[in-house]
Amino acid sequence: MLLGLLGAAQTGTNPIREFLEGVKPEAVPGWAVALTAIGIGVGITVAVISVIAMFGTWLERKVSGHIQCRYGPMRAGWHGWLQPIADGVKLLLKEDLVPKGADRVLYVIAPALVLASVLAAMAVYPLAPGFFFADIDLGIFFILAMTSTTTIGVVMAGWSSNSKWSLYGSMREAAQVVAYEIPLGLSLLVPILVAGTFNLLEVSQAQAGFFGLNWYVWPWVNPFMLPAFVLFFIAILAETKRAPFDLPEAESELVAGFMTEYSGIRWSFFFMEEYAAMYLYSVVGAFFFFGGFESPLTWAAIEAFGDGSVMHQVAAGTTLVVKGFAGVFLMMWLRWTLPRVRIDQVMTLGYKYLTPLALVCVLGAGLWELFLAPVLPWRQG
Amino acid sequence: MDFRGILDRLRATGAPGLLGHDLPRAADPKDKKDKGRGGDPFLWVEPAQLPAFLERCRDDERLRFELLIDLTAVDPSKDDPNLWVVVSLLSLAHRHRLTVKCALPKAAASLPSSVPVYRAAQWHERECGEMYGITFAGHPDPRHILLPEDWVGAPLRKDYVFPDEYHGISCK
Amino acid sequence: MVEAKTVETQTLPQSAPGEREFMLDVRTQDMEVNMGPQHPATHGVMRILVRADGEVCTGAQPHLGYLHRCAEKIGENVEWLQYLPYTDRYDYLAAMNNNLGYSMAVEKLMGIEIPRRALMIRTICAELNRIGSHLIAFGTYGLDIGAFTPFLYMFREREWMMALFEKICGARLTYSYIRIGGVFNDAPPGWLSEVERFCDTFEQKWQEYVDLLMVNHIFVQRTANIGVISRAMALDFGLTGPMLRGSGVDWDLRRDMPYELYAEIWKDGVFSIPLGRGEHGTLGDCWDRSYVRVMEMIESIKIVRWCLGAITPGPVIADIPKTLRVPAGEAYVGIENPRGELGHYVVSDGGKVAVRCRVRGPSFTNLAVLEELMPGALLADAVAIIGSTDIVVGETDR
Repeated sequence: MLLGLLGAAQTGTNPIREFLEGVKPEAVPGWAVALTAIGIGVGITVAVISVIAMFGTWLERKVSGHIQCRYGPMRAGWHGWLQPIADGVKLLLKEDLVPKGADRVLYVIAPALVLASVLAAMAVYPLAPGFFFADIDLGIFFILAMTSTTTIGVVMAGWSSNSKWSLYGSMREAAQVVAYEIPLGLSLLVPILVAGTFNLLEVSQAQAGFFGLNWYVWPWVNPFMLPAFVLFFIAILAETKRAPFDLPEAESELVAGFMTEYSGIRWSFFFMEEYAAMYLYSVVGAFFFFGGFESPLTWAAIEAFGDGSVMHQVAAGTTLVVKGFAGVFLMMWLRWTLPRVRIDQVMTLGYKYLTPLALVCVLGAGLWELFLAPVLPWRQG
Repeated sequence: MDFRGILDRLRATGAPGLLGHDLPRAADPKDKKDKGRGGDPFLWVEPAQLPAFLERCRDDERLRFELLIDLTAVDPSKDDPNLWVVVSLLSLAHRHRLTVKCALPKAAASLPSSVPVYRAAQWHERECGEMYGITFAGHPDPRHILLPEDWVGAPLRKDYVFPDEYHGISCK
Repeated sequence: MVEAKTVETQTLPQSAPGEREFMLDVRTQDMEVNMGPQHPATHGVMRILVRADGEVCTGAQPHLGYLHRCAEKIGENVEWLQYLPYTDRYDYLAAMNNNLGYSMAVEKLMGIEIPRRALMIRTICAELNRIGSHLIAFGTYGLDIGAFTPFLYMFREREWMMALFEKICGARLTYSYIRIGGVFNDAPPGWLSEVERFCDTFEQKWQEYVDLLMVNHIFVQRTANIGVISRAMALDFGLTGPMLRGSGVDWDLRRDMPYELYAEIWKDGVFSIPLGRGEHGTLGDCWDRSYVRVMEMIESIKIVRWCLGAITPGPVIADIPKTLRVPAGEAYVGIENPRGELGHYVVSDGGKVAVRCRVRGPSFTNLAVLEELMPGALLADAVAIIGSTDIVVGETDR
């Protein structure tokens, strides 16, 4: 978190800092402004993640309920919208246990590390085209790197719990996540090849205009995009440990996998990380395949209110949130429909099928870009 | 085959350990004490030869009892000096059943294990052994199965007295 | 306070020395993992001590007795009619079948004739309960494999079935409805037409389960070629029911040693016996056993429909005195429980109380095969194998 923001603070600027620079009294030095900006940025990020996680839990319960012919939470507020808050309060009030024989330091750090990784990745996400925390050129690279460090936290959790079941869960998780990093990165290379940049905002801008027909996922942009998106989606299912790849928390086999010995607020950290990661990966997919901020709504806002106006920002931000949660909904839908894949089948799928397919996609996309894209009329300009 | 046919076949092939049989019979009108007996016919077999007998039942072409359905015991009454070990067999090929009984003295309840003949006997003998205090000689894994490892006594015997306490828990 | 005491000291079978040649230089210690007694996948209170080399099981040892409630001892201490509620509670998912088995054993000793309407209602209840039991078996199997939703869909149908039973006897799970001599009371008006509505709706829902879970590629991958039981192994272990039929052995007590009305029903060509065919993977694997259970549900619907068509008014219970004295003798009656052959061996000396009331529970016998199937299986497969044995610990322990 701090890394990203510090980086931005030194090399570039962000709207918060600009705003503070504008309103600060003369005597306040630059570094104080930078620190304040960082503080505010961190605060907003944590708030955003919390809201996303809370909404994610509510959505999950409603979606699963309706798929299973039942309602889900209905009592806490209208259709249960207060349920996540009630859950949060309950979890905060729970007894803080550390199992006997557990490695205390690792046990306490693990959930914090897991959540911190996701928060760090959030530093690079722009909430709107004009509102971001750190506009770094290595955008997606940074995100992938940060979300990978959750694995360390999970393995620490499994090991430090002093329980064989937790150990099984974390071993499976480490194997699975590492295996699917490769198709994840490779499948993202396809839109990066087309866009020519790692920066999220620039990728989004490259897909602007024409009522959403410029989105990268459409086959006329590059026919290898759609397979790349499918591979990407499967890879993020595995990365976020969602069914059908939810072995690390395989409830019916390992009780709760690596989270078995956690309770209360520590457990909720893992869950916040899961929903936040789901949302963030889904937003990455939205940026690289589905246009990011660009949609008919954004286009209409630009036409009506002007580029860079407040309405444009709001429209763009809303578009991104909708796309993000559409992806989240799809992941939830899959979770409640499909059974769980066994660990060796997961690994076989990752290494033997997805990785070669992803390589083929990258190669094909590259060749397309090199030879055919300059020729196609709709790819000019 | 019906019971008569099975009995004749066993006699004809000289099944080891066959002692006799018992058929259901109506009450004897001349003897007021004899109330008769309903239900199924069964065979009496020498306990020491039970596994050999069962093997004959399993392998003989006309008998072909492939399945061991049940191996259990009965304590007929407090006064009876014997326990019965009761084996139920089923033939899929010929669609017939057979009940085989052995009489064991309560004081020395021991007979060879039938596990080499039917693997199904393994758990049945464990349960039977712990509940009645019967020793199945040659059983590969004679631990308690339903009762705790350190339970004392044979609960299903008629003269069994429940212990007063177990590991400090009062059993009154 | 009970002092904790480690009692098991048996060693599990070790891996053969040459078995893992390719890992000789990375020889790690086998891990002993305890599945249960409280565990989401053991279908009840049962403990399985698994020795695992990483994810591969090298040995398994089930520990039973956590749910032992001394049913057989109780049978020797309560009167014949009083024992009926205890029969509900061993295989609590198919309580009607338990009642039926016990009642039939006692009726055999008594030599009484059951009124035809009672036989019809008994058959309807037993088959409906078979459907309910298989719904749970298949639903929880899906849950073990990771499919959460079909479980809830199946419970929707099971709720309907339990509501039907509640209408007829007042209980949802432990019925004590099928009694010695017949059934407790006649079906209330409208019950039979509601059963018919259930049959009509169930057939469509059944297709839903097949599409959602049975032929789901991931489910097939998780269950095919897992836990293969050969015909010889099945016979040697005394397996019955879907465990036996899943291995392709064509045996069903309802057809081969018919009891109650099944001889008539079979003669009319109403139902067939589904067998495992090795459709996906090997014959006798977990998928085949699930397949048998799923197909049996539809066959039960056919039997229920036949009974609904053939039922006639009449008495529903024979004349049984309140204090029953069963004539001396001994009888064994085995019926086709959803899990296998449920046998009751009753011995009477003419008195009010049984001399011996032995319950041959299919789950107990079926579970023994686990010690043979688990070594060599992955830990995730272990759960699949345990689920496919469809045990109810109430019946395993009695």
